[in-house]
Amino acid sequence: MKMKINVDLRLKDVPGQLVSALDPISSCGGNIRGVVHHHDVKDGGRIAVNVTFEASSDPVFHRILDEWEKRDVEVAKINSFIETYPIRYLLVGDISSAEMESVTRGLESIENVVSIDVRYTGAATSSSHTALITGTVSSQDTLKTLDDFFYERTQKKNYLLVRGLEL
Amino acid sequence: MKVLIAGFGTVGQGIAEVIGTRQSLFDAMGEKVSIVGAFDSSSLIYGDNLDPKYLVEKKKTTGKVGDKEIPDDVASYIEEADFDILLDTTPTNIDHAEPGLTYILSALHSGKHVITSNKGPLALKFSTLSAAADANGVQLKYEASVGGAMPIINLSKQLLAGENIISLRGILNGTCNFILNRMKEEGLPFYQALREAQDLGYAETDPTYDIDGVDSAAKVAILANAIFGMDVNYYDVVRSGIRNITEDAIALAAEENSVIRLIGEIGGGKLEVAPRLVPMGHPLSIGGTQNMANIITDLAGEITVSGRGAGKNETASAMLSDLISIIRNKE
Repeated sequence: MKMKINVDLRLKDVPGQLVSALDPISSCGGNIRGVVHHHDVKDGGRIAVNVTFEASSDPVFHRILDEWEKRDVEVAKINSFIETYPIRYLLVGDISSAEMESVTRGLESIENVVSIDVRYTGAATSSSHTALITGTVSSQDTLKTLDDFFYERTQKKNYLLVRGLEL
Repeated sequence: MKVLIAGFGTVGQGIAEVIGTRQSLFDAMGEKVSIVGAFDSSSLIYGDNLDPKYLVEKKKTTGKVGDKEIPDDVASYIEEADFDILLDTTPTNIDHAEPGLTYILSALHSGKHVITSNKGPLALKFSTLSAAADANGVQLKYEASVGGAMPIINLSKQLLAGENIISLRGILNGTCNFILNRMKEEGLPFYQALREAQDLGYAETDPTYDIDGVDSAAKVAILANAIFGMDVNYYDVVRSGIRNITEDAIALAAEENSVIRLIGEIGGGKLEVAPRLVPMGHPLSIGGTQNMANIITDLAGEITVSGRGAGKNETASAMLSDLISIIRNKE
């Protein structure tokens, strides 16, 4: 589960502090996406630095926080969120409501599926139904898992699969 | 350069006409290009320097390009006849690739260059044909087989020669795109949009090759071999078509600010033709009958190329570029 984190740091106004603050991120496997060094903004005699980075998990992020504490890097503000990937699948054919319930249960059992929304339509005069499934997942690997899930399902049940171009 | 035209339908007539109108171009290159023979499914004509206008007129008025009957053994005729380049415009057959496959192999084995617009032989026997061309020191060119006037093969093989092409996604069949777009724009049911495409001449009476993704899958197989260096054929492409797309599906896609397009895809271990949900505004969300390919390379990043995918002049344009390429390579 990839996290994207934005932090406001306060560094001592002595040489080498920025490198010392960034080093724990890379040594813990984080990926630095942006650094803004506010030389002219001082807070309690410290210089303000804003850093955006990615971490692979919450424990990794906490290891970085621990390391900053040891290095006397003050953390003034933290914004973090989980990075998600959109999913979109359209199913067309003879899809019963029971089948849709089964598909939904199957999706809910897949790890890293964060949200699912299902829209299901059908004409009273036809056996053809259409289902649009949208949502998000928190891992790129899950995109492939879902792709396989829907492919196998539509092959077995003989209805048409229309995947989003995201994959 | 002496050329023999195999097949004299719309495409064959188109390339004959272009050879006639581009003589000053060939002169400027120091090369004379003359048609020394042409045949269709029932007749043959040969001569030193046949007049393209005469050939086209003859075909239009009599239904035959020549006065002589086509020989029983066309392969032997191709092997023995005195010409430099076979312009193969025979129709695609995805089951057995004939008669184009035999014609192309006969030309290559007898040391003649080949330019073809026929997808069948390439989609089924690409490696066999390439090996025959290499073994005989001649060129096999096929820009017209994919996307008509969309210059995807020569672009990738020549202008992007130093790139690693990572993936390709494309709209490779204009007929499907027309149908899907009409369903979206006018709320038409599939079969009504198909009928409209047939009335306008975009779809054949038997539309199977288009709407079941056969045509697109053949093109994916050709591109996978030609651009990605794979050794695959038509049957390696996972394929689904658009005949089961409903108005509801189109409407639900629109609610998601997307359209449905039949997309051919190569890359990431995939060789596939399938209907996909394409966000509006994405290059592949275009309407109309245009073909479009979106390729990702390691250095240049994303490149999108489009062009009219079918038609007499468009296919002739692609074959002409191959003809010029052969003339230049000769120099």
